[in-house]
Amino acid sequence: MFFDLNVPVSDLGLQGSVHSKKSKGKQPQQLHSVAFTLAQIKAIETRVDLLVHLGYAVIAFNQTVDKRLDPKSHVNILDSLLPQIRKRTGVIFLKRLTITLDEDSEKGFGLTNANASLVEPYDLIALTPTTATTFSLACLTHTLPSSLTAHVISLPLTLPRLPFHLKHTLVRTALKNGAVFEINYAGAIGGDGDTSQMNHVSGESGKRNWWAAAREVVRVTKGKGIIVSGGVVTDADHRAPKDVGNLISLLGLARNIAHDASASVPKSLVLRAQTRRTYRAVLSEPRLVVPNRAEEILDPAPTPQPTGDARDEGHSVNLSQVQNDSQSPPTSSENPAPHNVLNAAVSGNRKRSSDQAELDLPTSTHHSMASLGVSDGGEASQKKKKKNKNKEKAGGNS
Amino acid sequence: MVRFKNRWLLVEFIQSGTQTATLDGKQIYAALKQSVIHNFGDAAWGAVAMSLTVKYFSPTTNVAIIRVARDHHSIAWGAVTLLTSIAGQRLIPNVVHLSGTIKHAQLAAIQHNRQVVARFRALANTPAMYQDSYDAFLDQSTKEIEALQD
Repeated sequence: MFFDLNVPVSDLGLQGSVHSKKSKGKQPQQLHSVAFTLAQIKAIETRVDLLVHLGYAVIAFNQTVDKRLDPKSHVNILDSLLPQIRKRTGVIFLKRLTITLDEDSEKGFGLTNANASLVEPYDLIALTPTTATTFSLACLTHTLPSSLTAHVISLPLTLPRLPFHLKHTLVRTALKNGAVFEINYAGAIGGDGDTSQMNHVSGESGKRNWWAAAREVVRVTKGKGIIVSGGVVTDADHRAPKDVGNLISLLGLARNIAHDASASVPKSLVLRAQTRRTYRAVLSEPRLVVPNRAEEILDPAPTPQPTGDARDEGHSVNLSQVQNDSQSPPTSSENPAPHNVLNAAVSGNRKRSSDQAELDLPTSTHHSMASLGVSDGGEASQKKKKKNKNKEKAGGNS
Repeated sequence: MVRFKNRWLLVEFIQSGTQTATLDGKQIYAALKQSVIHNFGDAAWGAVAMSLTVKYFSPTTNVAIIRVARDHHSIAWGAVTLLTSIAGQRLIPNVVHLSGTIKHAQLAAIQHNRQVVARFRALANTPAMYQDSYDAFLDQSTKEIEALQD
Protein backbone atom coordinates (compact mmCIF):
# COMPACT_ATOMS: atom_id res chain seq x y z
CA MET A 1 0.00 0.00 0.00
CA PHE A 2 1.53 3.25 -1.09
CA PHE A 3 0.84 6.74 0.17
CA ASP A 4 0.82 10.10 -1.51
CA LEU A 5 0.32 12.51 1.33
CA ASN A 6 0.53 15.70 -0.68
CA VAL A 7 -1.91 16.26 -3.50
CA PRO A 8 -2.38 20.03 -3.60
CA VAL A 9 -5.86 21.27 -4.35
CA SER A 10 -5.62 24.84 -3.17
CA ASP A 11 -4.82 26.21 -6.59
CA LEU A 12 -7.52 24.15 -8.27
CA GLY A 13 -10.11 25.46 -5.87
CA LEU A 14 -8.75 28.96 -6.02
CA GLN A 15 -11.77 30.52 -7.65
CA GLY A 16 -14.11 29.27 -5.02
CA SER A 17 -11.98 30.32 -2.09
CA VAL A 18 -11.02 33.69 -3.55
CA HIS A 19 -14.64 34.46 -4.08
CA SER A 20 -15.54 33.67 -0.52
CA LYS A 21 -12.51 35.51 0.81
CA LYS A 22 -13.65 38.67 -0.90
CA SER A 23 -17.08 38.44 0.60
CA LYS A 24 -15.71 37.88 4.08
CA GLY A 25 -16.11 41.45 5.24
CA LYS A 26 -19.81 41.60 4.65
CA GLN A 27 -21.11 38.11 5.10
CA PRO A 28 -18.85 35.94 7.18
CA GLN A 29 -21.41 33.12 7.32
CA GLN A 30 -20.89 32.44 3.61
CA LEU A 31 -17.32 31.41 4.27
CA HIS A 32 -18.18 27.80 4.89
CA SER A 33 -19.42 27.08 1.42
CA VAL A 34 -16.84 26.77 -1.28
CA ALA A 35 -18.25 25.94 -4.63
CA PHE A 36 -16.17 23.73 -6.85
CA THR A 37 -17.05 23.96 -10.48
CA LEU A 38 -17.80 20.83 -12.44
CA ALA A 39 -14.55 21.18 -14.37
CA GLN A 40 -12.53 21.37 -11.19
CA ILE A 41 -14.16 18.26 -9.79
CA LYS A 42 -13.52 16.49 -13.08
CA ALA A 43 -9.85 17.49 -13.03
CA ILE A 44 -9.49 16.14 -9.51
CA GLU A 45 -11.26 12.93 -10.50
CA THR A 46 -8.88 12.32 -13.40
CA ARG A 47 -5.95 13.01 -11.11
CA VAL A 48 -7.23 10.51 -8.58
CA ASP A 49 -7.73 7.96 -11.36
CA LEU A 50 -4.16 8.50 -12.48
CA LEU A 51 -2.82 8.13 -8.95
CA VAL A 52 -4.79 4.92 -8.47
CA HIS A 53 -3.48 3.60 -11.79
CA LEU A 54 0.07 4.35 -10.67
CA GLY A 55 -0.55 2.30 -7.54
CA TYR A 56 -1.31 4.73 -4.75
CA ALA A 57 -3.89 3.64 -2.20
CA VAL A 58 -3.95 6.54 0.26
CA ILE A 59 -4.23 10.06 -1.07
CA ALA A 60 -4.09 13.14 1.14
CA PHE A 61 -5.46 16.32 -0.37
CA ASN A 62 -3.49 19.31 0.73
CA GLN A 63 -4.65 22.80 1.48
CA THR A 64 -1.92 25.38 1.87
CA VAL A 65 -2.17 28.45 4.06
CA ASP A 66 0.35 31.27 3.97
CA LYS A 67 1.96 32.83 7.00
CA ARG A 68 -0.73 32.08 9.53
CA LEU A 69 -4.02 30.36 10.08
CA ASP A 70 -6.58 33.12 10.29
CA PRO A 71 -9.78 32.02 11.99
CA LYS A 72 -11.76 34.84 10.38
CA SER A 73 -10.94 34.13 6.76
CA HIS A 74 -9.97 30.47 6.80
CA VAL A 75 -12.13 28.23 4.64
CA ASN A 76 -11.85 24.49 4.84
CA ILE A 77 -12.09 23.71 1.13
CA LEU A 78 -11.42 20.01 1.61
CA ASP A 79 -14.54 19.36 3.65
CA SER A 80 -16.69 20.46 0.77
CA LEU A 81 -14.51 18.71 -1.78
CA LEU A 82 -14.29 15.19 -0.40
CA PRO A 83 -18.01 14.28 -0.53
CA GLN A 84 -18.05 15.26 -4.20
CA ILE A 85 -15.35 12.82 -5.18
CA ARG A 86 -16.43 9.37 -6.26
CA LYS A 87 -15.74 6.65 -3.72
CA ARG A 88 -13.33 3.98 -4.87
CA THR A 89 -12.82 0.66 -3.21
CA GLY A 90 -9.47 0.35 -1.52
CA VAL A 91 -8.62 4.01 -1.86
CA ILE A 92 -8.60 6.35 1.09
CA PHE A 93 -8.77 10.13 0.96
CA LEU A 94 -7.29 12.21 3.74
CA LYS A 95 -7.30 15.91 4.45
CA ARG A 96 -4.14 17.79 5.14
CA LEU A 97 -3.41 21.36 6.11
CA THR A 98 -0.03 22.92 5.37
CA ILE A 99 1.00 26.21 6.89
CA THR A 100 3.89 28.02 5.26
CA LEU A 101 5.88 29.89 7.86
CA ASP A 102 8.04 32.96 7.28
CA GLU A 103 9.21 35.97 9.28
CA ASP A 104 5.68 37.16 9.83
CA SER A 105 4.66 33.91 11.46
CA GLU A 106 7.42 33.90 14.05
CA LYS A 107 5.15 35.45 16.66
CA GLY A 108 2.47 32.87 16.14
CA PHE A 109 0.69 31.33 13.24
CA GLY A 110 -2.65 30.29 14.52
CA LEU A 111 -1.98 26.76 15.79
CA THR A 112 -3.47 27.63 19.16
CA ASN A 113 -6.21 26.16 21.28
CA ALA A 114 -8.57 28.90 20.14
CA ASN A 115 -8.38 27.50 16.62
CA ALA A 116 -8.62 23.86 17.65
CA SER A 117 -12.05 23.45 16.11
CA LEU A 118 -10.73 24.87 12.85
CA VAL A 119 -7.87 22.40 12.72
CA GLU A 120 -9.77 19.40 14.03
CA PRO A 121 -11.33 18.26 10.70
CA TYR A 122 -7.92 17.83 9.08
CA ASP A 123 -6.29 14.43 9.30
CA LEU A 124 -2.77 15.78 9.01
CA ILE A 125 -1.12 19.08 9.80
CA ALA A 126 2.13 20.04 8.12
CA LEU A 127 4.45 22.99 8.55
CA THR A 128 6.76 24.50 5.96
CA PRO A 129 9.33 26.56 7.84
CA THR A 130 11.37 29.02 5.79
CA THR A 131 13.33 30.69 8.58
CA ALA A 132 15.56 29.37 11.33
CA THR A 133 13.19 30.57 14.07
CA THR A 134 10.15 28.95 12.57
CA PHE A 135 12.12 25.77 11.91
CA SER A 136 13.02 25.46 15.57
CA LEU A 137 9.43 26.28 16.50
CA ALA A 138 8.17 23.57 14.19
CA CYS A 139 10.66 21.02 15.53
CA LEU A 140 10.37 21.76 19.23
CA THR A 141 6.97 23.22 20.08
CA HIS A 142 4.64 21.90 17.48
CA THR A 143 5.65 18.26 17.53
CA LEU A 144 4.63 17.81 21.15
CA PRO A 145 1.54 15.64 21.50
CA SER A 146 -1.61 17.72 21.66
CA SER A 147 -4.64 18.27 19.52
CA LEU A 148 -2.61 20.68 17.41
CA THR A 149 0.45 18.59 16.72
CA ALA A 150 2.03 19.16 13.34
CA HIS A 151 3.38 15.78 12.35
CA VAL A 152 4.88 16.68 9.01
CA ILE A 153 7.76 19.08 8.52
CA SER A 154 7.92 19.85 4.83
CA LEU A 155 11.04 21.83 4.04
CA PRO A 156 11.16 24.08 0.97
CA LEU A 157 13.57 21.97 -1.06
CA THR A 158 13.64 23.99 -4.26
CA LEU A 159 14.86 27.23 -2.69
CA PRO A 160 18.39 28.21 -3.81
CA ARG A 161 19.86 27.17 -0.50
CA LEU A 162 18.08 25.93 2.54
CA PRO A 163 17.77 29.27 4.31
CA PHE A 164 18.93 27.82 7.61
CA HIS A 165 21.12 25.14 9.03
CA LEU A 166 19.37 21.89 9.91
CA LYS A 167 20.60 21.54 13.45
CA HIS A 168 21.00 17.99 14.57
CA THR A 169 19.47 18.57 17.99
CA LEU A 170 16.33 20.08 16.50
CA VAL A 171 15.95 17.32 13.96
CA ARG A 172 16.53 14.67 16.59
CA THR A 173 13.94 16.19 18.91
CA ALA A 174 11.40 16.36 16.13
CA LEU A 175 11.99 12.74 15.18
CA LYS A 176 11.83 11.68 18.80
CA ASN A 177 8.48 13.39 19.16
CA GLY A 178 7.21 11.46 16.16
CA ALA A 179 7.36 14.09 13.44
CA VAL A 180 8.54 13.18 9.97
CA PHE A 181 10.38 15.10 7.30
CA GLU A 182 8.80 15.25 3.91
CA ILE A 183 10.46 15.16 0.52
CA ASN A 184 8.26 16.27 -2.35
CA TYR A 185 9.42 14.65 -5.55
CA ALA A 186 7.80 17.34 -7.70
CA GLY A 187 10.99 19.36 -7.34
CA ALA A 188 13.05 16.62 -8.98
CA ILE A 189 10.76 16.35 -11.98
CA GLY A 190 11.07 20.10 -12.36
CA GLY A 191 7.40 20.83 -12.55
CA ASP A 192 5.71 24.06 -11.71
CA GLY A 193 5.24 22.97 -8.14
CA ASP A 194 2.63 24.31 -5.84
CA THR A 195 2.04 27.78 -7.17
CA SER A 196 0.24 28.81 -4.03
CA GLN A 197 3.55 28.55 -2.22
CA MET A 198 5.48 31.70 -2.80
CA ASN A 199 8.79 30.05 -2.03
CA HIS A 200 8.99 27.79 -5.02
CA VAL A 201 11.63 27.83 -7.70
CA SER A 202 10.77 25.84 -10.79
CA GLY A 203 12.83 24.80 -13.77
CA GLU A 204 16.49 23.86 -13.95
CA SER A 205 17.81 25.67 -10.89
CA GLY A 206 14.90 24.32 -8.88
CA LYS A 207 15.93 20.78 -9.77
CA ARG A 208 19.52 21.35 -8.73
CA ASN A 209 18.43 22.90 -5.46
CA TRP A 210 16.16 19.96 -4.86
CA TRP A 211 18.96 17.42 -5.18
CA ALA A 212 21.16 19.38 -2.81
CA ALA A 213 18.49 20.04 -0.21
CA ALA A 214 17.00 16.57 -0.32
CA ARG A 215 20.44 15.06 0.21
CA GLU A 216 20.85 17.34 3.19
CA VAL A 217 17.56 16.18 4.65
CA VAL A 218 18.58 12.56 4.16
CA ARG A 219 21.92 13.28 5.79
CA VAL A 220 20.62 14.95 8.93
CA THR A 221 17.83 12.46 9.50
CA LYS A 222 20.07 9.48 8.70
CA GLY A 223 17.19 8.03 6.75
CA LYS A 224 14.84 7.81 9.72
CA GLY A 225 11.46 9.45 9.60
CA ILE A 226 11.46 10.46 5.96
CA ILE A 227 8.32 10.35 3.89
CA VAL A 228 8.19 11.03 0.20
CA SER A 229 5.11 12.49 -1.37
CA GLY A 230 4.08 14.27 -4.51
CA GLY A 231 3.26 17.91 -4.19
CA VAL A 232 2.61 17.74 -7.91
CA VAL A 233 0.45 20.30 -9.65
CA THR A 234 0.58 19.15 -13.28
CA ASP A 235 -0.85 15.71 -13.95
CA ALA A 236 2.08 14.68 -16.12
CA ASP A 237 4.51 15.13 -13.24
CA HIS A 238 3.14 12.24 -11.22
CA ARG A 239 5.32 9.19 -10.86
CA ALA A 240 4.67 5.65 -9.69
CA PRO A 241 5.68 4.83 -6.12
CA LYS A 242 8.41 2.39 -7.09
CA ASP A 243 9.98 4.87 -9.49
CA VAL A 244 9.94 7.44 -6.72
CA GLY A 245 11.52 4.91 -4.39
CA ASN A 246 14.38 4.43 -6.84
CA LEU A 247 14.74 8.18 -7.21
CA ILE A 248 15.00 8.55 -3.45
CA SER A 249 17.56 5.78 -3.25
CA LEU A 250 19.73 7.89 -5.56
CA LEU A 251 19.90 10.41 -2.73
CA GLY A 252 21.98 7.97 -0.77
CA LEU A 253 19.25 6.09 1.04
CA ALA A 254 19.24 2.34 1.32
CA ARG A 255 16.68 0.59 -0.86
CA ASN A 256 14.54 -0.66 1.99
CA ILE A 257 14.38 2.75 3.63
CA ALA A 258 13.54 4.34 0.28
CA HIS A 259 10.68 1.88 -0.06
CA ASP A 260 9.49 2.50 3.49
CA ALA A 261 9.45 6.23 2.83
CA SER A 262 6.33 5.83 0.73
CA ALA A 263 4.83 2.81 2.45
CA SER A 264 5.28 2.07 6.14
CA VAL A 265 6.54 5.41 7.47
CA PRO A 266 3.53 7.37 6.19
CA LYS A 267 1.28 4.59 7.39
CA SER A 268 2.46 4.91 10.95
CA LEU A 269 2.36 8.68 10.53
CA VAL A 270 -1.32 8.63 9.62
CA LEU A 271 -2.01 6.49 12.66
CA ARG A 272 0.02 8.77 14.87
CA ALA A 273 -1.88 11.74 13.54
CA GLN A 274 -5.07 10.16 14.81
CA THR A 275 -3.78 10.60 18.33
CA ARG A 276 -4.43 14.31 17.95
CA ARG A 277 -8.00 13.48 18.81
CA THR A 278 -7.08 11.81 22.07
CA TYR A 279 -5.71 13.20 25.31
CA ARG A 280 -1.94 13.60 25.09
CA ALA A 281 -1.70 11.11 22.28
CA VAL A 282 -2.93 8.21 24.40
CA LEU A 283 -4.66 5.74 22.14
CA SER A 284 -6.71 3.84 24.69
CA GLU A 285 -7.63 4.14 28.31
CA PRO A 286 -6.70 0.93 30.09
CA ARG A 287 -9.32 -0.08 32.63
CA LEU A 288 -8.59 -2.29 35.58
CA VAL A 289 -11.31 -4.92 35.87
CA VAL A 290 -11.13 -6.61 39.27
CA PRO A 291 -13.17 -9.80 39.45
CA ASN A 292 -15.02 -8.89 42.64
CA ARG A 293 -18.13 -10.65 41.39
CA ALA A 294 -16.80 -13.84 42.91
CA GLU A 295 -16.28 -12.15 46.26
CA GLU A 296 -19.77 -10.75 46.28
CA ILE A 297 -21.17 -14.21 45.83
CA LEU A 298 -18.82 -15.55 48.45
CA ASP A 299 -19.88 -13.26 51.24
CA PRO A 300 -23.53 -14.28 51.63
CA ALA A 301 -22.98 -18.01 51.02
CA PRO A 302 -19.41 -19.15 51.51
CA THR A 303 -18.48 -22.24 49.52
CA PRO A 304 -14.84 -22.52 50.50
CA GLN A 305 -12.67 -24.70 48.27
CA PRO A 306 -13.51 -24.26 44.59
CA THR A 307 -14.26 -20.56 44.52
CA GLY A 308 -11.10 -19.76 46.47
CA ASP A 309 -9.13 -21.27 43.63
CA ALA A 310 -11.34 -19.56 41.20
CA ARG A 311 -10.70 -16.21 42.76
CA ASP A 312 -6.97 -16.65 42.65
CA GLU A 313 -7.08 -17.79 39.11
CA GLY A 314 -9.33 -14.95 38.18
CA HIS A 315 -6.94 -12.48 39.70
CA SER A 316 -3.93 -13.80 37.90
CA VAL A 317 -5.70 -13.95 34.60
CA ASN A 318 -6.92 -10.44 34.90
CA LEU A 319 -3.68 -9.02 36.10
CA SER A 320 -1.84 -10.47 33.16
CA GLN A 321 -4.59 -9.18 30.97
CA VAL A 322 -4.20 -5.72 32.38
CA GLN A 323 -0.47 -5.89 32.02
CA ASN A 324 -0.75 -6.92 28.42
CA ASP A 325 -3.18 -4.20 27.77
CA SER A 326 -1.19 -1.49 29.42
CA GLN A 327 1.72 -2.42 27.23
CA SER A 328 -0.14 -2.13 24.00
CA PRO A 329 -1.12 1.55 24.06
CA PRO A 330 1.82 3.76 23.29
CA THR A 331 3.75 5.15 26.19
CA SER A 332 5.41 7.64 23.93
CA SER A 333 4.26 8.93 20.61
CA GLU A 334 7.20 7.15 19.04
CA ASN A 335 5.36 3.88 18.55
CA PRO A 336 1.67 4.45 18.62
CA ALA A 337 0.38 1.61 16.54
CA PRO A 338 -0.88 -1.64 17.91
CA HIS A 339 -1.48 -3.73 14.86
CA ASN A 340 -5.23 -4.00 15.04
CA VAL A 341 -5.56 -0.26 15.05
CA LEU A 342 -3.76 -0.27 11.76
CA ASN A 343 -6.71 -1.88 10.07
CA ALA A 344 -8.93 0.79 11.48
CA ALA A 345 -6.90 3.40 9.71
CA VAL A 346 -7.10 1.44 6.51
CA SER A 347 -10.84 1.40 6.67
CA GLY A 348 -10.63 5.10 7.17
CA ASN A 349 -12.45 5.05 10.47
CA ARG A 350 -11.02 7.27 13.11
CA LYS A 351 -13.38 6.53 15.94
CA ARG A 352 -12.49 2.92 16.02
CA SER A 353 -8.95 3.30 17.26
CA SER A 354 -10.00 4.14 20.78
CA ASP A 355 -12.75 1.54 20.89
CA GLN A 356 -10.65 -1.22 19.46
CA ALA A 357 -8.09 -1.27 22.19
CA GLU A 358 -10.78 -1.55 24.83
CA LEU A 359 -12.47 -4.36 23.04
CA ASP A 360 -10.42 -7.21 24.36
CA LEU A 361 -10.69 -6.58 28.04
CA PRO A 362 -14.31 -7.20 29.00
CA THR A 363 -14.73 -10.14 26.67
CA SER A 364 -11.72 -12.01 27.93
CA THR A 365 -12.68 -11.34 31.54
CA HIS A 366 -16.01 -12.81 30.76
CA HIS A 367 -14.36 -15.87 29.32
CA SER A 368 -12.26 -16.50 32.37
CA MET A 369 -15.30 -16.11 34.63
CA ALA A 370 -17.37 -18.42 32.52
CA SER A 371 -14.71 -21.08 32.41
CA LEU A 372 -14.45 -20.96 36.19
CA GLY A 373 -18.11 -21.77 36.45
CA VAL A 374 -19.15 -18.82 38.56
CA SER A 375 -22.90 -19.02 38.80
CA ASP A 376 -24.04 -15.51 38.27
CA GLY A 377 -26.59 -15.56 35.50
CA GLY A 378 -27.54 -11.92 35.49
CA GLU A 379 -24.07 -10.53 35.41
CA ALA A 380 -22.92 -13.01 32.86
CA SER A 381 -25.74 -12.23 30.51
CA GLN A 382 -25.11 -8.57 30.96
CA LYS A 383 -21.53 -9.10 29.99
CA LYS A 384 -22.58 -11.22 27.09
CA LYS A 385 -24.74 -8.39 25.92
CA LYS A 386 -21.82 -6.04 26.20
CA LYS A 387 -19.71 -8.45 24.24
CA ASN A 388 -22.27 -8.66 21.50
CA LYS A 389 -22.56 -4.95 21.45
CA ASN A 390 -18.84 -4.64 21.07
CA LYS A 391 -18.88 -7.19 18.32
CA GLU A 392 -21.55 -5.28 16.52
CA LYS A 393 -19.55 -2.16 16.87
CA ALA A 394 -16.51 -3.85 15.40
CA GLY A 395 -18.56 -5.37 12.61
CA GLY A 396 -20.16 -2.11 11.74
CA ASN A 397 -16.85 -0.38 11.54
CA SER A 398 -14.89 -2.85 9.53
CA MET B 1 34.47 -16.35 -15.06
CA VAL B 2 31.29 -14.51 -14.25
CA ARG B 3 28.72 -13.80 -16.87
CA PHE B 4 27.66 -10.25 -17.67
CA LYS B 5 24.51 -9.40 -15.76
CA ASN B 6 21.73 -7.14 -16.88
CA ARG B 7 18.57 -5.61 -15.61
CA TRP B 8 15.49 -5.48 -17.79
CA LEU B 9 13.08 -2.65 -17.28
CA LEU B 10 9.54 -2.97 -18.55
CA VAL B 11 8.37 0.61 -18.91
CA GLU B 12 4.89 1.82 -19.68
CA PHE B 13 4.58 5.34 -21.04
CA ILE B 14 1.33 6.91 -19.97
CA GLN B 15 0.43 9.74 -22.29
CA SER B 16 -1.45 12.57 -20.74
CA GLY B 17 -4.22 14.00 -22.83
CA THR B 18 -4.65 13.06 -26.43
CA GLN B 19 -2.09 11.03 -28.26
CA THR B 20 -0.78 13.11 -31.14
CA ALA B 21 2.11 11.10 -32.55
CA THR B 22 3.21 7.51 -32.22
CA LEU B 23 6.57 6.93 -30.66
CA ASP B 24 9.23 4.50 -31.71
CA GLY B 25 12.18 2.84 -30.06
CA LYS B 26 14.73 5.26 -31.51
CA GLN B 27 12.99 8.28 -30.05
CA ILE B 28 12.85 6.61 -26.67
CA TYR B 29 16.55 5.79 -26.79
CA ALA B 30 17.43 9.35 -27.76
CA ALA B 31 15.27 10.82 -25.02
CA LEU B 32 16.71 8.41 -22.48
CA LYS B 33 20.24 9.31 -23.49
CA GLN B 34 19.48 13.00 -23.12
CA SER B 35 17.90 12.36 -19.74
CA VAL B 36 20.92 10.44 -18.43
CA ILE B 37 23.36 13.10 -19.65
CA HIS B 38 21.23 15.95 -18.42
CA ASN B 39 20.46 14.60 -14.98
CA PHE B 40 23.50 12.52 -14.15
CA GLY B 41 26.21 13.84 -16.41
CA ASP B 42 28.68 12.45 -18.91
CA ALA B 43 30.32 10.10 -16.44
CA ALA B 44 27.02 8.38 -15.71
CA TRP B 45 26.30 8.11 -19.43
CA GLY B 46 29.68 6.49 -19.82
CA ALA B 47 28.71 3.94 -17.19
CA VAL B 48 25.49 2.88 -18.87
CA ALA B 49 26.15 3.68 -22.55
CA MET B 50 27.62 0.32 -23.51
CA SER B 51 24.71 -1.73 -22.24
CA LEU B 52 21.70 0.56 -22.58
CA THR B 53 19.36 -0.55 -25.35
CA VAL B 54 15.67 -0.35 -26.06
CA LYS B 55 14.95 -3.96 -26.91
CA TYR B 56 11.31 -3.73 -27.74
CA PHE B 57 8.61 -1.11 -28.13
CA SER B 58 4.95 -1.54 -28.82
CA PRO B 59 3.24 1.63 -30.06
CA THR B 60 -0.23 0.22 -29.38
CA THR B 61 0.24 -0.31 -25.68
CA ASN B 62 3.20 2.10 -25.27
CA VAL B 63 5.35 -0.49 -23.60
CA ALA B 64 9.12 -0.70 -23.89
CA ILE B 65 11.66 -3.22 -22.70
CA ILE B 66 14.95 -1.56 -21.83
CA ARG B 67 18.15 -3.39 -21.03
CA VAL B 68 20.93 -1.99 -18.90
CA ALA B 69 23.94 -3.38 -17.06
CA ARG B 70 23.09 -4.37 -13.54
CA ASP B 71 25.79 -2.29 -11.89
CA HIS B 72 24.30 1.02 -12.86
CA HIS B 73 20.70 0.18 -13.46
CA SER B 74 19.49 2.58 -10.80
CA ILE B 75 20.94 5.47 -12.81
CA ALA B 76 19.12 4.34 -15.91
CA TRP B 77 15.96 3.81 -13.90
CA GLY B 78 16.29 7.27 -12.38
CA ALA B 79 16.76 8.73 -15.84
CA VAL B 80 13.60 6.95 -16.99
CA THR B 81 11.74 8.40 -14.03
CA LEU B 82 13.00 11.89 -14.71
CA LEU B 83 11.89 11.82 -18.34
CA THR B 84 9.12 14.30 -18.83
CA SER B 85 8.61 14.34 -22.56
CA ILE B 86 9.59 12.38 -25.64
CA ALA B 87 9.55 14.15 -29.01
CA GLY B 88 7.78 17.11 -27.50
CA GLN B 89 5.01 15.10 -25.92
CA ARG B 90 4.40 15.04 -22.17
CA LEU B 91 4.20 11.56 -20.71
CA ILE B 92 4.57 9.64 -17.49
CA PRO B 93 7.06 6.79 -17.52
CA ASN B 94 5.95 4.00 -15.27
CA VAL B 95 8.28 1.07 -14.61
CA VAL B 96 5.92 -1.88 -14.46
CA HIS B 97 8.47 -4.59 -13.91
CA LEU B 98 12.17 -4.98 -13.22
CA SER B 99 13.79 -8.32 -13.77
CA GLY B 100 17.17 -9.95 -14.00
CA THR B 101 16.48 -12.16 -16.98
CA ILE B 102 14.87 -11.45 -20.31
CA LYS B 103 12.51 -14.38 -19.77
CA HIS B 104 10.67 -12.67 -16.98
CA ALA B 105 10.66 -9.34 -18.76
CA GLN B 106 8.97 -11.13 -21.66
CA LEU B 107 6.40 -12.78 -19.43
CA ALA B 108 5.64 -9.50 -17.69
CA ALA B 109 5.35 -7.70 -21.03
CA ILE B 110 2.89 -10.27 -22.37
CA GLN B 111 0.84 -10.08 -19.20
CA HIS B 112 0.90 -6.30 -19.26
CA ASN B 113 -0.22 -6.21 -22.89
CA ARG B 114 -3.17 -8.38 -21.99
CA GLN B 115 -4.08 -6.09 -19.12
CA VAL B 116 -3.95 -3.03 -21.32
CA VAL B 117 -6.11 -4.70 -23.95
CA ALA B 118 -8.58 -5.72 -21.24
CA ARG B 119 -8.71 -2.09 -20.13
CA PHE B 120 -9.32 -0.94 -23.71
CA ARG B 121 -12.10 -3.46 -24.05
CA ALA B 122 -13.68 -2.43 -20.76
CA LEU B 123 -13.68 1.18 -21.91
CA ALA B 124 -15.22 0.21 -25.26
CA ASN B 125 -17.95 -1.73 -23.45
CA THR B 126 -18.17 -4.49 -26.03
CA PRO B 127 -20.22 -7.67 -25.48
CA ALA B 128 -18.56 -10.79 -24.12
CA MET B 129 -17.66 -12.76 -27.24
CA TYR B 130 -17.11 -9.73 -29.45
CA GLN B 131 -14.28 -10.23 -31.95
CA ASP B 132 -12.01 -7.25 -32.34
CA SER B 133 -8.60 -6.47 -33.75
CA TYR B 134 -6.99 -6.81 -30.34
CA ASP B 135 -6.88 -10.60 -30.55
CA ALA B 136 -4.66 -10.41 -33.61
CA PHE B 137 -2.57 -7.77 -31.87
CA LEU B 138 -2.12 -9.91 -28.79
CA ASP B 139 -1.05 -12.93 -30.84
CA GLN B 140 1.37 -10.91 -32.87
CA SER B 141 2.87 -9.02 -29.94
CA THR B 142 3.25 -12.24 -27.98
CA LYS B 143 5.19 -13.74 -30.89
CA GLU B 144 7.33 -10.63 -31.18
CA ILE B 145 8.12 -10.54 -27.51
CA GLU B 146 8.92 -14.23 -27.35
CA ALA B 147 11.27 -13.85 -30.30
CA LEU B 148 13.44 -11.40 -28.37
CA GLN B 149 16.96 -12.63 -27.84
CA ASP B 150 19.30 -11.79 -25.04
